[in-house]
Amino acid sequence: MISRNPIRDEIAIIGVGSTGFSRDAGERSSKSLACEASIAAIQDAGLEKGDIDGIVGPMEPGGAIPHQMASALGISEVTHQSSPMPVALFGLIDAMDAIFSGACDTVLLYYSYQRLPWNSRSAAKDPFRRHFQMGVIPVPEAPDPAAAYTQWASRYIHDYGATREDFGRVALNMRANALRNPLAVMKTPLTMEGYLQARMIRDPLCMLDMDVPVDGADAFVLTTTERAREITRNPVVIHATSLGVVDKNDEDQLPDLSRHGQHVVVDALRAKSDLWIEDCDVFFPYDGFSIITLGWIENFGWCKPGEAGRFMAEHWDEKAGSVLIDGRVPMNPHGGSLSEGATRGSGHLREAVTQLRGDAGKRQVANARTAIIGCGGFFFNSQGAILRRL
Amino acid sequence: MSEQIDDAALVERFPYAQIDHDTKHLYRGWLEKRLLINRCDECLRFHHPPKPVCPSCWSSSLTPTQVSGRGVVHLAMHLHQGAPAPDVDYSKSPHPVVAVELEEQEALRFSTTVIDCPLEDVKIGLAVELDWIDRFGAPFPVFRPRRDA
Repeated sequence: MISRNPIRDEIAIIGVGSTGFSRDAGERSSKSLACEASIAAIQDAGLEKGDIDGIVGPMEPGGAIPHQMASALGISEVTHQSSPMPVALFGLIDAMDAIFSGACDTVLLYYSYQRLPWNSRSAAKDPFRRHFQMGVIPVPEAPDPAAAYTQWASRYIHDYGATREDFGRVALNMRANALRNPLAVMKTPLTMEGYLQARMIRDPLCMLDMDVPVDGADAFVLTTTERAREITRNPVVIHATSLGVVDKNDEDQLPDLSRHGQHVVVDALRAKSDLWIEDCDVFFPYDGFSIITLGWIENFGWCKPGEAGRFMAEHWDEKAGSVLIDGRVPMNPHGGSLSEGATRGSGHLREAVTQLRGDAGKRQVANARTAIIGCGGFFFNSQGAILRRL
Repeated sequence: MSEQIDDAALVERFPYAQIDHDTKHLYRGWLEKRLLINRCDECLRFHHPPKPVCPSCWSSSLTPTQVSGRGVVHLAMHLHQGAPAPDVDYSKSPHPVVAVELEEQEALRFSTTVIDCPLEDVKIGLAVELDWIDRFGAPFPVFRPRRDA
């Protein structure tokens, strides 16, 4: 496993911006949301538009692509642009690599989301979203990533005797945390009884095991740590990152749950990083589906395979209504994709930076110095990052 | 083997599938109600879905090979909502979807539905065999509980 990591701590995140997330942002384009978050991030960094010379924005249906953002924001000269696949750290890793290689000095990294016509009734009524096409209309049995997480949840339950409550604790944790985050879409408390009664979508997973479609945008500004030190006293730096994929990654062909993309990510991060889970102050296991969160908890080594449900129960803080590992480390304190909104991980990244800067208000983790993010799922978009405050 | 239809006609028969030169043999097999899984002529390993070369040994000498259709359910879910199909009515009953591990090779799987089986019995470990239904006017492979199991 590769341990070479010359970029360690060399790139900093110096600005964050967000529109916050809602079921309906009103009569606005995805580009409008991206512009609002981007302007907020550049202003948060204390920079001006002329300071930006790289733009990275992952592909999203109906989303603005980087040269359109340069045009919309009047960013006059750009020497690096790219549109990686969705799921947040593809964009982060491309942005940091571009800066480190000298392709550019300062990157605007933006993520913008709109509810899609095929998973939101109100979005389906929006005539301006009719051109978001899926390609061929699949059959119910098509092995697609969303359905595959449910299929593998069935295997997890079969192999480990997991219960619905084990999955429910993921949803409850995110909801309780979201209630402390003003950017989050979900505003009402959730009980285990409420979880167990939620509408079944793909048995064994119900509606509350699946991320909530939203409108909204996050944006970040990255530059060299050297430059960041001139701009800010406490830059948040990227300590280690990795992507991970295995060969048999067709959704129904994964040999088993013991070796997939998450395991590759964890092994690579461990080889590259001076910091590990015992150093972690705030933990970000991705939760596009609850089964993914159980995987990250186990695969980072917080507990053994099949024990994530029990681990959450043992580390449950009744007062907070959520997990505090060893009474100290929260999981997704912003509410995650299940309750802040389906940001494909940009919310996790934004909250990591916010916590490490000490700007998280009433959900602030005391003296947070190290954040660990496990983003994406099992098949083709597993990714991880370790961020720290200098 | 009956006369093969051309590529344009094949695409017409399976409007829901993204067919290309790597997967066309699979769907041509369906028209004859034969489940053809790519097998390497060199190392004899099966793989699915169809790839342009053998992922094990890189041989491009591959033969779409008819399999027995026997296997065991490895993954299972019951869809309460999902993509539409003329033979599926989510309002009447959840629709089972399974990944079946085929008997020819470990971890070689084929995903589809199960027919003629009580929903509560469609679960991991069920022994199944291949059958065919009509879907949009073309054969569609499904599984049913094994009659000799």
